[in-house]
Amino acid sequence: MYYLSITKEEWDIAVEQLLLSYTIFAPVENEFGQDYELMRPADISRISYNKPKPATPLKNFFLPVKENVTTQPQSDKPRIILGIPNCDIQGLGILDEIYLDKDFNDLYYSNRRDNTILIASDCFGILEHCHCLSYNIKPYSFERADMAVIHRDGMIILRVISAKGEELTKKIPHVQPLTDGTIISAIDTEHNKTEDLLRSSNKGLPDYSSTGSLVKKANNEIWEKYSSHCVSCGACTTICPTCTCFLLIDKPGFEKVKQMDACQYPGFERVAGGEDALFELHNRFRNRYMCKYVWKPGKFKSLACTGCGRCIEACIGKINKNELFMELV
Amino acid sequence: MVNDKNIYKPLRAKLKDVIDESPLIKTLVLIPEKQFSFKTGQFIELSVDGIGEAPFTPSSSPLVTEKLEVTIMKTGYVTEYMHNLKPGVFMGIRGPYGRGYPVEKFFGKEVLILGGGCGLAPIRSLLYALEAIKDKLIKVILCYGSKTPTDCIYKPLFNRLNITEKFEAYRTVDKAEEGWDGSVGVVTTLLNKIKVDIKNSIAVVCGPPIMMKFGTIRLLEMGYQEDQIYLSMEKNMSCGLGKCGHCMMGEFFVCKDGPVFTYNELKNTPDIWK
Repeated sequence: MYYLSITKEEWDIAVEQLLLSYTIFAPVENEFGQDYELMRPADISRISYNKPKPATPLKNFFLPVKENVTTQPQSDKPRIILGIPNCDIQGLGILDEIYLDKDFNDLYYSNRRDNTILIASDCFGILEHCHCLSYNIKPYSFERADMAVIHRDGMIILRVISAKGEELTKKIPHVQPLTDGTIISAIDTEHNKTEDLLRSSNKGLPDYSSTGSLVKKANNEIWEKYSSHCVSCGACTTICPTCTCFLLIDKPGFEKVKQMDACQYPGFERVAGGEDALFELHNRFRNRYMCKYVWKPGKFKSLACTGCGRCIEACIGKINKNELFMELV
Repeated sequence: MVNDKNIYKPLRAKLKDVIDESPLIKTLVLIPEKQFSFKTGQFIELSVDGIGEAPFTPSSSPLVTEKLEVTIMKTGYVTEYMHNLKPGVFMGIRGPYGRGYPVEKFFGKEVLILGGGCGLAPIRSLLYALEAIKDKLIKVILCYGSKTPTDCIYKPLFNRLNITEKFEAYRTVDKAEEGWDGSVGVVTTLLNKIKVDIKNSIAVVCGPPIMMKFGTIRLLEMGYQEDQIYLSMEKNMSCGLGKCGHCMMGEFFVCKDGPVFTYNELKNTPDIWK
């Protein structure tokens, strides 16, 4: 891992050049917040750097809402996704474990992973529901991404993380090794400030090591109470960077369409004979917590919740999982 | 090494024959376009072109690779289509998936099999596998229950097993019909009739959830240890690959970690009988 620097003007020109050989997505701010947009040359100056966090999760680039999984996977133009918060970068861990499984490798997912360069963005500042640090995820990327980007005082600083990231730097003219130690320590200071903000905003919130046992021993009243505002819309699972459940739909010609699904929808576990372990709303609601904090942690190395807080933002019933956890503590 | 096979694409199989087993149950005999092998107790995803796909454990012998038999009860949308198919059409097969019966662990033991309804389908495949290794087993006892004598599937199987060395087969029905002079009562009542050396035995249970529940409870009362009881679980396995999440039962993906589990593995998982 090492740092490079380039002026913002030269960086914008380099990104425009990269558009010739890559499809690039980057977050852009609008009146509602920010989200990833497909970059055209005119959009490059609108890219939002170092602000948490795009409205939609990174998983959408790898797991489309709907796709035919029996036709030949397409070899698209290589992609760069620029400006990814570390919560989403770390959320890819469990997706990789599930979809790049050695017995059952999903070609569509693995092609997209191979075809995509991930450029993270250090978060300087937090949003209301950000709580990555509670789950031991830093608000800046040192691993799993290919590179990270920091915009500061008219300069772009690149933290080169992987070989893929290093390869990309060769296509960026005018990058210089960053030798000025004061810039690195200024970045460290920004990191510390963000971490302090998170610590004070998340005071009393249980960490990932204790959420499992809290969820496990929570009684039915808790699930009934918090699910009383749930309308089973599935917004929490749709917006979650680590929820990956899907349904296979049959089409003529033995084709299969894979469509994202959610355990919050009625009938998710129903079998043909009629039995349904998740028939009751509070059981479906509890299922999502058990899955993220008890079952998946027992099965996978990667986190099944990254503390991005999007499920809280997206809930139309205003259900706040952090309030639920605080009540459990 | 990463497998570059498309995990979602089915293998085509021609429907050769449809056998009526009972008013609600039929066996489809399939000839896969490529050789297809499975271990007994593993399951496949079987699809009707353009209609839907559902998981089934083959009921044929795992030693036969050129054809595959799947016994299907009409319970819903997809199985109703399956029942109406005529020989000559093509179906889709994905798999085999999951963990089947660990038959090598049955060596030197008595095998007690408790089956109910369409649960005899996976058991028939297991019985074929056990017949092939009967020299290594002490004995095999099948206890099977159906709602009525008409609902009993594979009727010739029972006579055949009863004249096979080391095999015993018993039947009961919940409700007798005219001409039935056999046992009446739920399948667990047959357990009073058999002689089994529990210490040197393993038990296999396969059937509807309610029968699996009470079958397991009875076996535990008889003195079976939790790790001596093998259950074949039925959940909504949609992808079969440990990815789609529909068959999650507590920490387990039934499709990948099962469908065969010991009771010991599942005893702390809630709602296993739903």
